[in-house]
Amino acid sequence: MRAGPGWLARPPPRRRRGATAGGAAVWLLAPGGLLTLTVIVVPFVVALVMSLLDLDQYTFRQWLSAPFVGAGNYVEAVGRTSLPHAIWVSGSAAVIATLLALPLGVAAALTTHLPFRGRSLVRSLYLIPYVLPAFVVGTIWRIILQPDGVANQGLATLGIAGGLWLNGPKSYLALIVVQAWSGWPLVYLLALAGLQGIDDSLHEAAALDGAQWRAKLRHVILPLLRPPVALAAIISLLHMVNSFTLPFVLFGVPSPHDVEVLPVLTYVESFQNLRFGLSAAMAVISLVLILVPLLVYLRTVRLDEPEATA
Amino acid sequence: MNSVLRLLPRPLQIGLTVFLLTIVGAPVGYVFLASVNTDLAVAAGEFWPERVSVGNYVRIWSTVPLGRGLANSLLVAGTVAVTCAAVAVFSAYVLVRHRFRGRRTVLRALLGMQSIPGTLLLLPVFVLFATIGSSLGVPTIGTRWSLVVTYLTFGLPFSTWIMVTYLRELPGELIEAARVDGAGSWQILLRVVIPLSWPGLVVAAIFAFLLGWNDVLFASVMTDVDTRTAAVVLQVFGAAQEGGAIPPYGQMMAAALVCAAPVVALYLAFQRYIVSGLTAGGVK
Amino acid sequence: MNASRGLLAAALAATVAIPVTACDPGSSAEDGRTLNVLIGANSIYPTEQKQWFADVSAKFQQQAGAKVTFETFASPTDELTKIQTSMLSGQGPDIYALGTTFTPTAYSTGAFVDLTADQWTKIGGRDRFLPATLGISGPDATHEVGIPFTSRPFVMAYNKELLAAAGIDKPASTWDGLRQQARQLTGAGRYGLAVAYGDGFDPWKFIWAMSIQAGNPLVSDGKARLTDPVTVKAYQTYLGWLATDKVVDPAATGWKNAQAIAAFGAGKAAFLPMVSATSKVTLDKSAVAGKYGYAVMPTVPPGATSLPSGGVGATSILSGDNLVIAKYSKNQDLALRLVNMLTTAESQEAYYRTFGELPTNAELANRLVADPALAAIVDSASKAHGTPFHGGWSKVQLALVNVVVQSVPNLAAGKVDDTSLNALLAQGQSEAQAALDKAK
Repeated sequence: MRAGPGWLARPPPRRRRGATAGGAAVWLLAPGGLLTLTVIVVPFVVALVMSLLDLDQYTFRQWLSAPFVGAGNYVEAVGRTSLPHAIWVSGSAAVIATLLALPLGVAAALTTHLPFRGRSLVRSLYLIPYVLPAFVVGTIWRIILQPDGVANQGLATLGIAGGLWLNGPKSYLALIVVQAWSGWPLVYLLALAGLQGIDDSLHEAAALDGAQWRAKLRHVILPLLRPPVALAAIISLLHMVNSFTLPFVLFGVPSPHDVEVLPVLTYVESFQNLRFGLSAAMAVISLVLILVPLLVYLRTVRLDEPEATA
Repeated sequence: MNSVLRLLPRPLQIGLTVFLLTIVGAPVGYVFLASVNTDLAVAAGEFWPERVSVGNYVRIWSTVPLGRGLANSLLVAGTVAVTCAAVAVFSAYVLVRHRFRGRRTVLRALLGMQSIPGTLLLLPVFVLFATIGSSLGVPTIGTRWSLVVTYLTFGLPFSTWIMVTYLRELPGELIEAARVDGAGSWQILLRVVIPLSWPGLVVAAIFAFLLGWNDVLFASVMTDVDTRTAAVVLQVFGAAQEGGAIPPYGQMMAAALVCAAPVVALYLAFQRYIVSGLTAGGVK
Repeated sequence: MNASRGLLAAALAATVAIPVTACDPGSSAEDGRTLNVLIGANSIYPTEQKQWFADVSAKFQQQAGAKVTFETFASPTDELTKIQTSMLSGQGPDIYALGTTFTPTAYSTGAFVDLTADQWTKIGGRDRFLPATLGISGPDATHEVGIPFTSRPFVMAYNKELLAAAGIDKPASTWDGLRQQARQLTGAGRYGLAVAYGDGFDPWKFIWAMSIQAGNPLVSDGKARLTDPVTVKAYQTYLGWLATDKVVDPAATGWKNAQAIAAFGAGKAAFLPMVSATSKVTLDKSAVAGKYGYAVMPTVPPGATSLPSGGVGATSILSGDNLVIAKYSKNQDLALRLVNMLTTAESQEAYYRTFGELPTNAELANRLVADPALAAIVDSASKAHGTPFHGGWSKVQLALVNVVVQSVPNLAAGKVDDTSLNALLAQGQSEAQAALDKAK
């Protein structure tokens, strides 16, 4: 979390061609920096401190005098809880669900690019999965995926025995499908904004070249959509890794082994076992494990660099 | 013009639209059917209601203070959306147009912040607000503004990123041209950058809005009876005593659709800003 | 850099300072004449609840000249978060309505008022309450935080028509007998029992009941006893209903309590164990309205024909709500006055008439026994038994349910695998014991 210091302790920006005076830059960043410091950075530091304490229901009331256990919670989280398993489940499910959501979201943006009658409505309808409260989405999918629910009735008419979706190996698939279903509108919104930002002259140029739709899509449109879609992929991944309500309502607590996801695990430690320190340590570990691949990924896609042409 | 802009062949376009609408529509249709069904039938997994009743849409307003919840949500999420988009465009402009040390660190930290789970921050944030409140003698917990500040902060990193990806694609010549005309940084931002960034701004605002609209975690502890948001109020429909009567599923579904409606309506209204991209700004 | 560090340090110091200021009695300028009560939201009787809030406020204003404001929570998580934030900041509700099984945890936090003899007197004395309902107020009679407020004992609903058609005159009083009756009642698309194997709470209550009836309270003297043979037998019986006896709909592997009630309500099951009196609201709107009754659940453990020595004939866990008063409250005396008002026979009767939850007030409860419709439920209330009073109980409860959750795939495959059951129980035992050992 270097955001705070980075924000505040910035050296005066060097002037470069096309850049304005440095003074303006600093104060334009100040409101965001100050807010981040108070509502994210400081609380995060406090949470870090909590993760070093033996904080549970017995010591919570006077938490500052809770025994300091150093890395004790971290050792316990890695060695004696199912945290490694949960990180694997959450991470892999989030990656797969994001990979499912990407084509859906981009396709949705492409279909609503050109005006047609009812386009506004279609565009708005695409938003609904993202707008429904997570616990309602969880409730309805739980009902759909019941052993004798609509999903299995549908499969039965196709001659397939659906079986168990809310527990056992197939619950992992259920988790992915429901996450992807409620997550793809995020990709769609970003892809649509990106698409609308493409200069019409590029379309014209492609038309003059006589490019067919496939070639145009591949060589002109999709490359231009890459930054917003990459951003959408990262954000959707992070949302899914941290998504609590959906798996909580869908599978209940305690989680079936195959869908024991990270947020539910930290929830159980915190709200059922009342091991607040341990829970904080788990969250910090998972945060680090998510952040490292993320930062590596950011280097490779160079999301934070303007295109070479800029 | 249309044929030039066309991205997909017509049959594929139609096929994909139908496919996507089905994916959205099937579960949402179930939510709707459940909302006009009886609680028992919903619990039993019945798909087609035997008898359709719209009573749930009437009852939800008296079961919970839904009207007040919606008003609070609109106020909080709306304020967050506007402020967040505004702050984000300033920050993004600086991050895109200026080179300074630590710039990349800031950009990556913005994304990194997205990975902090809210549950980890809940207690410290609450305590911080309570402290500020009691030491400065101003009400914090239970007020709408404390919620606005919280959501604004959580929404900023992502909104800023959206604006960064958007502003980066803006042609630099326009800004150069404005500068040559003698426009200052502030004027360039207001007269050139913002009018050109409507699609990005609207999306940034939408995400900030939805963050405030959907959050339950922070709203449930930082609001009181009068400032409860719709998302928190909705939770009551899921409340059930162990082994007692089944929860009012029908009302839950009806209320969820009612709460989704304002967002869909707002999106419909704001769409004209994202319909036409750069052409509207007179780039050509 | 220095500036930012300084700011960070200042902000951190401010955050950290709060528990200190919170403990300072003079720091709050709170109006002493307002009481804040946190209670569960009632989604079944929402308008009645609002009316009750208004009535209580008006009456208390009249009696004590003080205002009462009610806040509601939608889920136990919601409530726990509220308790945590209130404990940390020293501001929040004066009175909390807590579920009985959560009372041991609340007690262990030390955040609630441990009632003195004098304070008990102010709320009408311990004698005011049905003795059974005091069973989970504290670790012993001299250390109690919970004041019994409502009672929701668990019973079993049964379909009178189906039982009569099968020639069964009344529900069995032993678990073996119940299984036998369930077998008889299974067939033609109907099942003997409706059991919610996918519920997050139901399963442990069955296991606890069958265990304590066989003499194992699951926790005694700080030791967890999850691998005890009688508990293994309890799991085998409970899981066996679906897997091997086939007296439960196979779809029940995914059921929560609501789906079990819906199945019984549709006439697809003869018995619905582990429901409370408020299930009546749902069942009276269902296809079995007027055709069902309530009975106490069996009190003789599986494999036995009578209560073994050392066994406790518990009909239900001690269930309902206790009221607790926050230590940080500056209005403790006023809070006691409100509790006193809420637990009189008169107030409790109004509450019972409105919400269908049984009173804890002894005088009123004894009057209600006379009502035949309530007989089974009142009977269960008086024979309910408290779950172990231990700060680590919630972990034990979770471990008990976890065994069932992880057994569901086997269950769906139609088997109770003893090897995996024993492995799960061993794991649950060690987790439960670790939680108990943390008690301070």
